[in-house]
Amino acid sequence: MVTAAKQIEEEAHQLPIGELAFKAVGIKKHYPGVKALDGVDLEGYAGEVLAICGANGAGKSTFAKLLAGVETPTEGEIRVTGHPRPVHNAAEAEQAGVLMMHQEPLIIDDFTIGENVWLYKLRMGKDIRPWAQKVDSNSQETRDVLRQVGLGQLSTKQLARGLGPGQRQMLSLARAEVAPHKIMILDETTASTSEEHFNDILDLVRREKESGTCIIFVSHRLNEVFEMCDRIAVLRNGMLVDVVKTADSTPDEITTLMIGQALKALARPAPAQTSGKEPVISVRDLYGGAAKGVSFDVAPGEIVGLYGLVGSGRSSVARTITGQRRAAGGTITVRGEQLHLTSPGQALSKGIAYVTEDRRLEGFVKDFDNGENISLVVLPRMSKAGVVQAGVEKTRVRELIKEYQVKGGPDTYTRTLSGGNQQKVVVAKWLEADPDFVVLDEPTKGIDVGARANIYEIIHRLAARGKGVLVVSSEAEELLSLCHRILVMRNGEIAGEFDPEHADTDDLIRTALTHQD
Amino acid sequence: MTTTATTPTEEQQPEQSTRNAALEWLKGQYALFILIVLLIIAALSSPAFLTGTNITNLLLQMSIIGVVVMAELIIVLTGGIDISVGSALGLAAVLCAGLFGGFSVWLALLVALAVGGIIGLVNGWLVSFRGLEPFIVTLGMLALARGLVYAYSEGIPITPEASATFAQIGQTTVLGIPVLTLIWIAMVLIVAFLLRRTVWGRRVYAIGSNKEAARSSGIPVRATLWSVYILGGLLVGLGGWMFVCRFGSATALAGNLMELEAIAAVVIGGAALSGGRGTVFGAVVGTIIFQVIANLLSLLNVSTFLQDAFRGALILVAVTLATVQFARRRSRSPQPATK
Repeated sequence: MVTAAKQIEEEAHQLPIGELAFKAVGIKKHYPGVKALDGVDLEGYAGEVLAICGANGAGKSTFAKLLAGVETPTEGEIRVTGHPRPVHNAAEAEQAGVLMMHQEPLIIDDFTIGENVWLYKLRMGKDIRPWAQKVDSNSQETRDVLRQVGLGQLSTKQLARGLGPGQRQMLSLARAEVAPHKIMILDETTASTSEEHFNDILDLVRREKESGTCIIFVSHRLNEVFEMCDRIAVLRNGMLVDVVKTADSTPDEITTLMIGQALKALARPAPAQTSGKEPVISVRDLYGGAAKGVSFDVAPGEIVGLYGLVGSGRSSVARTITGQRRAAGGTITVRGEQLHLTSPGQALSKGIAYVTEDRRLEGFVKDFDNGENISLVVLPRMSKAGVVQAGVEKTRVRELIKEYQVKGGPDTYTRTLSGGNQQKVVVAKWLEADPDFVVLDEPTKGIDVGARANIYEIIHRLAARGKGVLVVSSEAEELLSLCHRILVMRNGEIAGEFDPEHADTDDLIRTALTHQD
Repeated sequence: MTTTATTPTEEQQPEQSTRNAALEWLKGQYALFILIVLLIIAALSSPAFLTGTNITNLLLQMSIIGVVVMAELIIVLTGGIDISVGSALGLAAVLCAGLFGGFSVWLALLVALAVGGIIGLVNGWLVSFRGLEPFIVTLGMLALARGLVYAYSEGIPITPEASATFAQIGQTTVLGIPVLTLIWIAMVLIVAFLLRRTVWGRRVYAIGSNKEAARSSGIPVRATLWSVYILGGLLVGLGGWMFVCRFGSATALAGNLMELEAIAAVVIGGAALSGGRGTVFGAVVGTIIFQVIANLLSLLNVSTFLQDAFRGALILVAVTLATVQFARRRSRSPQPATK
């Protein structure tokens, strides 16, 4: 049931297909010392899907923020068709018909799922008068909207708190169905959703496109970009390199445009000499979190991949064997010693390191600069009687920043770096402790192609130096090209083991999916 | 990509970058400017302000709260808060004056440190190992300790046997600087050293800024937190002993509302109550600002009650100022251009 008022509202926001939806002229956005955008001209049209691609730090999210009015440009202006003046803030952008889907979905945990669907009404300052007619957040309409984004199985009365990251993202997308808009920005929307939600997003985009919305898809996942978009605008270092039609281009070409050079194919790791060597870690019948009886060994010099869907227990395994959480049962043996890990600190003392999946929460300290973050783990070694030897720390940190090719110096705050560079800081911090066994949980999540290659190289070097490596990932392709051996988890158990030479993406996905009750 | 331009390149003149760094640093020190302006106003508005007696008096007044501010600072840096410092100081003061008849100042010092240390031990254990909110833990401790103060002293000021020796310590000056002030300066230097130069200090900041990342990086978060509260307690205990030295006796109201001044001084000094940000220098400036204003108000014969109101208002103004400053700084600081 759609009310008449809402219909009028929607019509006012619709543009005929092919019409100019927004026009950005000479956009510059300068932060102190950083030119995030340096003169970008870009237009978007109703009924098209425009991808904005670029490596981390290229300025694509900045552009999205400017369009959504979250930030204002230093120079230049963005005009949204039908709005008399350039937008100055997010509220005005919303009035002009720009709907921003943030990377971190705007969900209020203590509201029900139904209420979250109608959240925009609160944000637009409508219907908060106590006597106003309330939207029924449990209505059939709400349920229809949820079904359209693949959340039909959820109750509208359930609190949003319990939703997984993918579901949260989809719930925030449900707003597109109820909020009037003519431009929709998807800022890295697929970064936290799994493959099963991608089709729902595709459907949503298709519907939006038909109704004349201009959709901006900010991403660096090229396969998705090619599946979804009509045109691709490529940014590099704050400049618009080119705008190409998807039909006339290839992912390789876009990659080249993004990083300014052709990316060399990733070399397979040198085969590991594992026979006859004592494993660096051997896990037997491990329970904890979603893991239900997991056993495996990792040999020195071996890169083992751990694949599985969200909730399959792969992260539980990674966190349990690195002391991030306690095991509920089973044994972890390192160098003949059976460990009862109670803290990451203890795991570290046994030569086990964990590079987290959640960089912002666990990876680095937000008020620390690169130097302090890199030395955090090994600080006791850089000190005498608890007093930090400033000279030793400074020298070593400089060396590491150079070695790991971190952008910025020791005094740059890590939080201001792009995802890829943050990850290099986190990796450097752990590897400096010289662990024998390293677990990397989604090491390339939210990282652009350039930095990705760096991380892969680092992992290969680790293995070459005889360390054991476990890479947890939800990207089958990544594991196939990176690992010596791949374990696939399903329902908390290891469901299969593959040799990447004789397996493909399909094998992994099928093993991860089948027999799920 | 995003930050190449912010980092000084090798070719830059070293002197120039030092000067820039100094300028940058000055820009952040709004508390220092407030203090300078305040001192000028004080000197102009009351001829009594710059007299030797008044300055000595001011220094003495500052020293005790100054030590407590150091305790509050390290706790605030971890993202916690301690509102029991005033009561704890009171308890340390009455017990060190009263236990064993107060015949020895050094024994009294041990008693005061023990009392403060135990309070810190309990607060810290509840906060770090039981995972309770620092606010509610120290709120309970505030009432508990103050209650014990009243129960022990029965509302009557306690004068130790060695009252004269205590008072002597309080009045002694070295090169014109009171001994109590020297103790304060020593504590400031010790805390600054611990925070800036030691592994422990780095951990305190890391925990305050991002507890999860700290834990994940192998830092013993709970032990470190506990040690922070214990050290804080010891400092507060020392403050209690200094109180008896200054006044020659301990009253039931010793340290009353001191938590207010301590937290305010820390915040005026630029520390974030959410933890991870704040400096010893800032906290010291905050302490001085607060005491100079209090001193000025008494010199200008403002009534005691109004003085309290003034101080409360000052906290509100200062905290508001700090947020304005913070918001501006945040909008100027480089942000990640993309995720």
